[in-house]
Amino acid sequence: MALRFEVLGRFNRARAARLTLPHFTCQTPLFMPVGTQGTIKGLTTDQLETIGCQIILGNTYHLELRPGSQLIDDLGGLHKFMNWKRALLTDSGGFQMVSLLHLADITEEGVTFQSPVDGKPMLLTPEESINIQNNIGADIIMALDDVVKTTITGPRIEEAMYRTLRWIDRCIAAHKKPDVQNLFGIVQGGLDPVLRDICVRGLVERNLPGYAIGGLAGGEDKDSFWRVVAQCTAGLPEDKPRYVMGVGYPLDIVVCSALGADMYDCVYPTRTARFGSALVPEGVLKLKQNAMATDERPIDPSCPCMVCKNYTRAYLHCLVTKDPMGSQLLSYHNLSFMARLSRDLHMSILEGRFPEFVRGFLRVQVCLALQSLFYHI
Amino acid sequence: MALRFEVLGRFNRARAARLTLPHFTCQTPLFMPVGTQGTIKGLTTDQLETIGCQIILGNTYHLELRPGSQLIDDLGGLHKFMNWKRALLTDSGGFQMVSLLHLADITEEGVTFQSPVDGKPMLLTPEESINIQNNIGADIIMALDDVVKTTITGPRIEEAMYRTLRWIDRCIAAHKKPDVQNLFGIVQGGLDPVLRDICVRGLVERNLPGYAIGGLAGGEDKDSFWRVVAQCTAGLPEDKPRYVMGVGYPLDIVVCSALGADMYDCVYPTRTARFGSALVPEGVLKLKQNAMATDERPIDPSCPCMVCKNYTRAYLHCLVTKDPMGSQLLSYHNLSFMARLSRDLHMSILEGRFPEYVVSFDINLPDYSVKLCAVK
Repeated sequence: MALRFEVLGRFNRARAARLTLPHFTCQTPLFMPVGTQGTIKGLTTDQLETIGCQIILGNTYHLELRPGSQLIDDLGGLHKFMNWKRALLTDSGGFQMVSLLHLADITEEGVTFQSPVDGKPMLLTPEESINIQNNIGADIIMALDDVVKTTITGPRIEEAMYRTLRWIDRCIAAHKKPDVQNLFGIVQGGLDPVLRDICVRGLVERNLPGYAIGGLAGGEDKDSFWRVVAQCTAGLPEDKPRYVMGVGYPLDIVVCSALGADMYDCVYPTRTARFGSALVPEGVLKLKQNAMATDERPIDPSCPCMVCKNYTRAYLHCLVTKDPMGSQLLSYHNLSFMARLSRDLHMSILEGRFPEFVRGFLRVQVCLALQSLFYHI
Repeated sequence: MALRFEVLGRFNRARAARLTLPHFTCQTPLFMPVGTQGTIKGLTTDQLETIGCQIILGNTYHLELRPGSQLIDDLGGLHKFMNWKRALLTDSGGFQMVSLLHLADITEEGVTFQSPVDGKPMLLTPEESINIQNNIGADIIMALDDVVKTTITGPRIEEAMYRTLRWIDRCIAAHKKPDVQNLFGIVQGGLDPVLRDICVRGLVERNLPGYAIGGLAGGEDKDSFWRVVAQCTAGLPEDKPRYVMGVGYPLDIVVCSALGADMYDCVYPTRTARFGSALVPEGVLKLKQNAMATDERPIDPSCPCMVCKNYTRAYLHCLVTKDPMGSQLLSYHNLSFMARLSRDLHMSILEGRFPEYVVSFDINLPDYSVKLCAVK
């Protein structure tokens, strides 16, 4: 175990905690931006510090492809390589393999796939995934799991859940640096409460430093989504961090935090920036709209970030989709928004005003929805 | 006149000066990065301030296309629009028109061209160019000139030079904001010293706030290049800034400064960054080279910029040509390099150590060495 997790405040199931990792002491709940291949597109690491990012995700699959984990290790690890002084988390590589590569095939041994570089067959085993992640050197590393989409039904889900449990033992055995890197297990089981329960118990028995809730945020309906999160958080230990993978939308983060989760990651804030959308309290502001061309306001007058303090919607409209600077500035703002959301969740829980925060958060969103409804009537 | 130009120090023909513009007080010699369409690709304005950029160029042609100069004016001018607090310079639009648009045609009236948006014929006159630049609101605006490539010969060069003189009067007449925007004239005349001399005299008679040397940096040999610069700087007034357009390579900037020029612009530092090349004292470092993949040094150990303080060649190699972050970080470094070059030129002239600086700057001056020594 190479972390410390201290709950500082609660409201019902929600927790505000201090998560002490080798490279950084974090406050949860927190959102982790995705820096796929050793960089968050368009932002320097000092900008990310200014924004208030605490943990950044790196994708093992992409990093192993380029520049390769052995090189990263030779050069002193990913922190040094990408000049990020705070915390890093790497995923196992499994998800990209399944989602990006058509000919990926999962067997008991591991994930076989065609190398995108030269088409040769390759195999990612639990051992190899952990080895790569040991080379990269992140504060938190993820077990290789057998993940299936929640939209799938049938025996495949059960098979995947049991395999995930068998693979966690192989991951634990392969892990060479448990004193400086925290291996998190991932709860699978689809939308089936029985399977989810078996998986939770199995992982908790292994006494890992932290736990993730996987296999969600893939197209299931919201009702099923939150029920699975609620069930898992109820079964996972109180004194360890809980990470809902692939989440996401601000509202989902607020809901999951209310249900007792602590950590989140998603490409959404940065990806939607690259499509010209800014995150605002009311929802989403689309800078491409014609009305933005003469709008002299900042994206969000209440936002203290560098972009909102310095640039107008009109200027951003001019850049968006025509100049990469547009994506850059919107990414900066969107990650500032997510960092502020994280801080607001932590502080409101800590200071005993979490319900007021949630109500305020929802009111702004709902009001706008109602407003637009009125205009259509 | 909306500027003040004070020479603070000299070495032979080189000058270190203070150029006071409405939005910023600059030190010359200086290099101006090109922020074509209201942004320097990949860099925020606060990064540009940290780097030490003093004046940024905007391209009138591109800005009029998108978002349009009237909109910029309605929103308070380009400074406010792009959030740049320091100085701005806009060109006339003429060069892009001639270089980017195949069917551009130059007549006495102006430059006729096909609109790239809808193909309709359009006309950029001196009056319209100045009007657009008045809307944009830069500290320095450029006259519409009739510019021809130095690789062309024949009567076209003479025609263009005289037309440039006729157009400067139309530009002056059309200029609505001489109290806050400085209209610079541009010396044309190809490589012909007689034509260049006529143009210099003609522009000096108009008593403009500053003068540019145009029509160079387009493929002519270096020997011809510096001779034209030397001739023009000899003829232009001592007490006004001199701007060599389209320059460029660090060595060319050093040479032109030695010859008495003060201001430069070029896309080279930022464009070469996007091709994976970093500017270093020894010349150019190509980050794409295989050897860079394991090189843990910064681009330049002597460079104090954010990129050299934080990132290794190995990391940059990994990004370059595969992730826009590579271009961004190299642009940041290259503009830092150019800002430091500007500062070093200013300070070395001011402090009486310009010759030592020039010698240390480049061990090899292949094109210039013998001939430059003859220039006093």
